[in-house]
Amino acid sequence: MCATALMELEDRRSKPALGRRCGAEVLLQALVAEGVEVIFGLPGGANLPIYQHLASSSIRHILVRHEQGAAHMADGYARASGRVGVCLATSGPGALNLVTGLATAHFDSVPVVAITGQVATATIGTDAFQESDVIGATMSVTKHSYQVHDARDLDAVVREAFQVASTGRPGAVLIDVPKDVQQQMVDSDPAEITRLRPHREPPPPCPQLLDRAAEWLAGARRPVILAGRGVAISRAEAALLKFAEQIDAPVGTTLLGTGVFPANHPLALGLVGFMGTGYCNLAVSNCDCLLMVGMRADDRVTCRLDEFAPHARHIVHVNIDPAELGKTVSADCQIAADADWTIRALAQRTQPRRHPRWRDQVRAWRERHPLRYPRNGQLQPQEVMAAFYALRQPSDIVVADVGLNQIWAATGWTGDQAGTFLNSGGAGTMGFALPAAIGAQAADPKRRVWAVCGEGGFVMTLQELATAVEAGLPVKVVILNNGHLGMVRQFQDDFYGGVRSAITHTVIPDFQLLGSAFGCFSAKVTSRAELAGALRSALEHPGPALVECRIDPEAGVYPIVPFGKGLADFVECPAR
Amino acid sequence: MTSSPLNRHLPASLASESSRPARLVLVQAEDRSGVLQRVTNCLARRGFRLLSCTICQGPTSGLLSIWLRVGTGPQPYDQVTKQLAKLIDVVSVEDLTEQDPLQWVTALVEIRKVGDARDLELALDRPGVQVVRRLESSVLAAVSGPPEEVGESMRRLRQLPLVDWVVGRPLALAQHKTVPATANSKQTMSGS
Repeated sequence: MCATALMELEDRRSKPALGRRCGAEVLLQALVAEGVEVIFGLPGGANLPIYQHLASSSIRHILVRHEQGAAHMADGYARASGRVGVCLATSGPGALNLVTGLATAHFDSVPVVAITGQVATATIGTDAFQESDVIGATMSVTKHSYQVHDARDLDAVVREAFQVASTGRPGAVLIDVPKDVQQQMVDSDPAEITRLRPHREPPPPCPQLLDRAAEWLAGARRPVILAGRGVAISRAEAALLKFAEQIDAPVGTTLLGTGVFPANHPLALGLVGFMGTGYCNLAVSNCDCLLMVGMRADDRVTCRLDEFAPHARHIVHVNIDPAELGKTVSADCQIAADADWTIRALAQRTQPRRHPRWRDQVRAWRERHPLRYPRNGQLQPQEVMAAFYALRQPSDIVVADVGLNQIWAATGWTGDQAGTFLNSGGAGTMGFALPAAIGAQAADPKRRVWAVCGEGGFVMTLQELATAVEAGLPVKVVILNNGHLGMVRQFQDDFYGGVRSAITHTVIPDFQLLGSAFGCFSAKVTSRAELAGALRSALEHPGPALVECRIDPEAGVYPIVPFGKGLADFVECPAR
Repeated sequence: MTSSPLNRHLPASLASESSRPARLVLVQAEDRSGVLQRVTNCLARRGFRLLSCTICQGPTSGLLSIWLRVGTGPQPYDQVTKQLAKLIDVVSVEDLTEQDPLQWVTALVEIRKVGDARDLELALDRPGVQVVRRLESSVLAAVSGPPEEVGESMRRLRQLPLVDWVVGRPLALAQHKTVPATANSKQTMSGS
């Protein structure tokens, strides 16, 4: 946060409130003091006192159609803006509907604060109407959670919740507020905050550790850098680019790291892992020194763990969360620190290097293993993505859903700005893209925001089209309709004996009619010739728009690493 | 393993685990609603079995010491201590497997900040005393060591304005079999 914003924040906090206030007012004023401008929510019996006062608050409320949408919108808002996203739900089913969205945000280290109404304190534990143990239900998908039993604590709880959500490794935080606490009258002056727990920075890495990592990287003949979302969170893109050029190391990215390194840079390797590019996976499999920065190294990145980077004499792992170090890959040098700080520290310790033979080798792999797809006359998803990215402006945000569409969107990515490609990487939540795009659009109405979905994921949260239209948020949705749960179909074809089971959508709505029913511009594309025109029309429409592309139903993602195999054992596109 | 009359009705995973050695972990925490649930959930979610647990509460219910005897799990053991250390209410995590529970005492002390901060820092600069959390108006310090050493530290610390303290040792867990600690087994967080 910049100095001016900090001063504004302090100024807001220092203004005394007048008269006695109820808990709901304390809560809302605390949110305003934290700089909250938008809340995504849905009212219900147990949060009505909050809604009573929200109407007169400076906070914009965006009424969602399902609480899962609210959590994803808060998530998209946070990813796009770098600020904390806030969602609001009632007790019981309302609160429980947030769980998937909170998990999605939490697993991807996105700062989201969820506020839930709860039944009155005296009835908690009596299985009252719309009572649920939301604290218990969300314990594994939040960084922390609070149930407030006294309105005098609300101000401090909100302050701490925002601090917890946004510092260190960001994540989701939940505040559960019983209805009687929302209505409890308290003195105007908030209680003196004495128990605000400060963020615990890991101690700075010892210089010897950095020296050793720098020495290994400088001494490498075949270095590779892998970068994840931690680079975007710490705004280390510039430092990463400079350092990669300095040591002449090719850079691959995780799904969540897509965009942290310019896609068209000569050192760019694209996506690593299970559905990563062949040349990136080969580079990782043959490097002699690997730097992993701002990433977790989960199973989708490593594939078979004992074959991950088998020729790397040294692996350096940088992550701000100490618990991620040594969790899967046992790196020789584990640095628990901020990505930007560490990259700069390594750069200071390293002289420029050149690796022409290694670069030639990587180039040869790139030529030998390009991203291939069949040319069978049908509209291919890669063609849709190429046409779409050709129209995209650098600042446009693209939110990918989950499934084949996500990988097509990531592997075809051409952008060079971090934070412009958003997706659910950790939880892999289908239905994420539309509501997250709405949240991203709410964060900055002037930017163009796109959602790329398959038809399977889109129908999981499509009701939020109404939210987009109602709130005047002109998101553009591209549906890659292959009539199947495509990724499952590909897994069944490739890894489960070719037995196709429960993957075909025999009933698919007419998306053009559906979009019109919600008040959106909508178009259907069945051929290459229609593609650019439909996308342009969607862009020119001032409101939400939906473009359905009927793609090759058999289109898959290649290369792919078969289950149980190492990164180098990827399978390329079969001839069809 | 061979089934004994005692474990023959256990699921296979638990029956084989019951013969494995356990580790002793001390979790010191602020006594907030749900802290025990968070700690035990952290173990259960990662497939570690909680074999026994002793809890000691400070006189004003502000601090907790929780001794856990933890069975082996599918993940490396240090994952548990790392994940426990991430919990917001937890102020320190220490592996006491190698310590004799009868000869090792631990304490968590909250001291109100008054006067010159340097005096407080000086008072806390003792062997076995580590500041684990700095709050706006107080400091939390963990004390760990042989009984005489901890006793002497506590005598000195009691001269300071204490908000709360909890002192104890896991006597109830003393008879159980343990395994040697790894290099990473002791992990205490620093306050910022």
